[in-house]
Amino acid sequence: MSDTSHGTGGLSFDKTKRIWPSEMNVLLALIIIIVIFEILGQVLPYMNDQSFLFDTRGRFDSIFNEARLQIIILQVAIIGIIALGVTQVIITAGIDLSSGPLVAATAMIAMSFGQTEFVNGFANPKAVFGSWAMDLPVLIPVVIGLAFGALIGGINGTFVAYFRIPPFIATLGMFLICRGIALWWSAGNPVSFPTDQYAALGAGMMPVVWFLFLAAVFHVIMRYTLYGKHTYAIGSNEEAARMSGINVKRHKVMVYMIASMLAAFAGVVLSSKASTAQAGMGEFYELFAIAMAVIGGISLTGGRGSIIGTVLGAMVLGVIRSGFTYIKLDGSYQLMAMGGIIIAAVILDQFRQRSKA
Amino acid sequence: MKKTLIAATAMMSILGTTAMAQEIGATFSRFDDNWLTVLRNGMVEYAATIDGLSYQQEDASDDLAKQIDQVKNFVAAGVDAIIVNIVDTSAGAAVSAAAGSTPLVYVNREPDNVNDLPSTQAFVASNEIESGTLSAFEICKNLRADGKAGGATGYLMNGQLSNQAAVQRSKDVHDVIGMDMCNFMTIIDEQTANWSRDEAQDLMTNWMSSGEPFDFVLANNDEMAIGAIQAMKAAGMDMADVQVGGVDASQDALLSMAGGDYDVTVFQDSVGQGTGSIDAALRLIAGEDVDQKVYIPFKLVTPANMGDFLDKN
Repeated sequence: MSDTSHGTGGLSFDKTKRIWPSEMNVLLALIIIIVIFEILGQVLPYMNDQSFLFDTRGRFDSIFNEARLQIIILQVAIIGIIALGVTQVIITAGIDLSSGPLVAATAMIAMSFGQTEFVNGFANPKAVFGSWAMDLPVLIPVVIGLAFGALIGGINGTFVAYFRIPPFIATLGMFLICRGIALWWSAGNPVSFPTDQYAALGAGMMPVVWFLFLAAVFHVIMRYTLYGKHTYAIGSNEEAARMSGINVKRHKVMVYMIASMLAAFAGVVLSSKASTAQAGMGEFYELFAIAMAVIGGISLTGGRGSIIGTVLGAMVLGVIRSGFTYIKLDGSYQLMAMGGIIIAAVILDQFRQRSKA
Repeated sequence: MKKTLIAATAMMSILGTTAMAQEIGATFSRFDDNWLTVLRNGMVEYAATIDGLSYQQEDASDDLAKQIDQVKNFVAAGVDAIIVNIVDTSAGAAVSAAAGSTPLVYVNREPDNVNDLPSTQAFVASNEIESGTLSAFEICKNLRADGKAGGATGYLMNGQLSNQAAVQRSKDVHDVIGMDMCNFMTIIDEQTANWSRDEAQDLMTNWMSSGEPFDFVLANNDEMAIGAIQAMKAAGMDMADVQVGGVDASQDALLSMAGGDYDVTVFQDSVGQGTGSIDAALRLIAGEDVDQKVYIPFKLVTPANMGDFLDKN
C-alpha cells in the first residue's frame, strides 16, 4: 500500500510538521493544568494538603490516587469515542453537529432491543416492545444501533458530498431530526433495565477500554492506510485530491458514516453505563467532542489534526472536570474554564502556525 | 405508550371536528424530562376520556420566550383554555399576560404571581417545600436509627441550577440540616449533576476518588440518586452503609428500592396534578368557580410502603 501506486494528490506529508509539535503542546498544557491543581491542593486552606494525582493517604498500592486517574478518563471516554469520528470529519474540512442527539436516538433504539423481562421479580415497567424483544443476545441491539448510525451518517454524507449542502447546515438539520427521533421513539419515556450482557458493555472501566481501543485502531487507519491519506488529502486541497483520482464524494460519505457509527456506538455504551436510555441524553456532546479535537490541535479548515491530539484533548477536559470537583468549585466555573481553554488552544495554535510560515 | 398516544391523537382529531368541541392547548417546559413525561402522557390519556375535548401539547424546550410565543399562538388559534408547565417560575406575570382573557391553568410549577392570578387563571401543583424536606428528614431519622447521631457526613446533588424545584429542594435539605434534631449531618460538598443519571455517576465517582468517608447522599431527583448508587456499587461499597435519598418515586427508583439499594424517595402525584389541571381548565371554560390554588400533597416512599406506588408514576 504505497503512496505512489494510488496517488495522494501530489501531497507529501511532512510528518514532523503535521504530527509532532501540535501534540507536544497539548501534552505540555495537560501537565501544566495538572500541576496547577496540585499546587491549589496544597495552597487552598480547606484542602488539608490533599494531592490531586498522588496517593497521600495510603489507599492504593501505587504512588498515584488510582481512583482519580480512572475517573479522569472514564468521564470523557464516551464523548471521546464521538470525538474520534468528529476528528476525521473535521480533517476533511467538514463538521458534524448531529452526534449528540444521535447518541440519544441510538441509545433509545438500541436499548429497546437490549431490555430484560424481569427486574427484581417485577415485570420490566419500561418495556418498549413485547416479550419477543426481551433478553435478546447483546449482538442484536449493538448491530441495530450501528446500522442506525450508518444510516444517519450515510444521509449526512450524501447531503454534504452529492447535494453540496454545507456540512454545518446538513448536520444541524440532522441534529434536530435525531433529537426528534429520540423523543418520539417511546413518547419521551426512558428505556431502562437492560440485560446483564447489555449492561456489561459499558460497566466499570469498559468505556475507557472501548475508547482507547478505537483510538488505537483509528490512529493506525489515519496514519498508515489509504483511507487516512485520502481523508487528509481531501481536507488539504479538495480540488487537487479530485484531480489526482480520489473519489472525493464517495470518500466523504464514508467518513460521515464512520463518524456517525462511532457516535452510535457511544450511545450504546452510554445507555449501558447508565442502565437507561433517555431522550435528553447526550446534550452538548457534539460540542464537547468538537472541543476535544480543537484542544488537540485540529484545524477547522481541514487537512490537519490527529487522533492522538484528540485523545490528549479529551484528557485535558477530563482533568479540568475532575480538578474542579477536587478543589470543590461549582460546575459553573468549570464551564468558564473549559471555554477559556478552548479559545486559548486555538490562539496558541495560530501563533505557532504563523511563526512557522 | 406510543400506541395510546397515537390513539389519543386520532381520537382528538375526530372529536375536534364536532361542533361542541372544546380545545385545550398545553405547553410543557421540557418533553424529555422523565417525570413531566409521565404527567404529559397521563394528561393525553385523561383528555381522551372526555367527550368533545381536543387536547394538544407543545414543547417549550426550557425556553421561556418560546413558551410565551406558544401561549400567544394558542390564543390566536382560539383555544378555549391553556395549560402551562412554566419554564421559569419567576416569569408568571409575563405568561399570565400573554394569555389575556383566555382561561389558563398552571400545572406542576408554581409561578411567582400565584397569589395575584386573575379570576380566569388557576394553579395545580405540589408544594416543592414538602418534597426535599420529607426526603432529607427521613434520611436524618434513618441515620439516627443507625447510631450515627454523633456525626454524619455526606454529599448533595443538585438538579439544574436554573430550575426553581432544584433550588427549593436543595434549600429544603439545608433547612432540615439546620434543625436541632438533624444538625449532626454535615455536607462535604454539593454540586449539580443536571438531573441526569450519567452525570451523577461521574460526579459521585469524582467525589469518591478523594477517599473521604461519608454516610449519606441526597439528590434532588431519583435519576441522580440512581446514578450515585450505580457509582457506589461499582466502587464496591455496601449500600447498607449509606443512606440515599431522592425525589420522584419513578419506577426505576422503586425497583432500585426493591433491590435494597435505595432508601428514601418522595412520590409526586402525576395523575392528581394532570387530571386536576384539566378539570380546572374545563371548569374555567364553563365559567364555574374554581380553587385558584390547589396543592396535591407529596408522599414519603420507603421500602415499607413502596408497593403502594409501583404502578403510579
